[in-house]
Amino acid sequence: MSVNRLHQLKSHILSDNKITAMTGSPSPLTTHVLNTAMGVPGSNMAINLYQHDHSTNAWSLITTGTTNDDGRCPGLITKQQFTSGVYKMRFDTAQYWASMGETCFYPYVEIVFFINDPGQNYHIPLLLSRFSYSTYRGS
Amino acid sequence: MTAAESSPLTTHVLNTGDGVPAARMALSLHRLDSSMMIWNMLSVGTTNGDGRCSGLISRAAFTPGMYKLRFETGSYWESLGQNCFYPYVEVVFNINDPEQRFHLPLLMSRFSYSTYRGS
Repeated sequence: MSVNRLHQLKSHILSDNKITAMTGSPSPLTTHVLNTAMGVPGSNMAINLYQHDHSTNAWSLITTGTTNDDGRCPGLITKQQFTSGVYKMRFDTAQYWASMGETCFYPYVEIVFFINDPGQNYHIPLLLSRFSYSTYRGS
Repeated sequence: MTAAESSPLTTHVLNTGDGVPAARMALSLHRLDSSMMIWNMLSVGTTNGDGRCSGLISRAAFTPGMYKLRFETGSYWESLGQNCFYPYVEVVFNINDPEQRFHLPLLMSRFSYSTYRGS
């Protein structure tokens, strides 16, 4: 077995992106939480991803996750699950600040967005402080 | 509501994509009924030519609790003949001291938005 092949196998086994390891492709939907007040990634923040079910007019939970040390949460959704529709990402912001002994003006942040072309990748960061936040479609 | 009784909660919506106030955007204010865990709509309005909406709530009604400002961003951009990544924007916030004034602007474009507690 070549050294290159060994490195490939190692990265599959050690990756904390379980979805990548299983399907070979990363989530087409990603996020990145940044704590702009402290200039650090927003790590250990609970995130939920929902898809709107038009037939029941309710949100169905797709994934629950927690951001890693870099404020990211790999494996939000698989390519197969990622169909056109309306999605919602919920970030447990007050809980995040409370774990650092601080309050937050926003108990949670929910970002609702359209996915019209699930063939594309969508990167939805959240830049957050105790009294402000912003989001955008990134890459 | 007279000027002397102006709402302790105000907003200002700016269309950062075009560099103009977001006029004629529908929005609504809600308060969470924590015992029933449902949102009660307190007021509905439309932003004026300057992107502002007066009379959101009276001082008397402004009690501590969890509130939500919902902005109909999808409809707004549609009325300009454009699409928007966000069908609507909901900003959920805690009011612990309703004696203060709270100014919550929304700066938004078709693919981004930000909000903050201002003055």
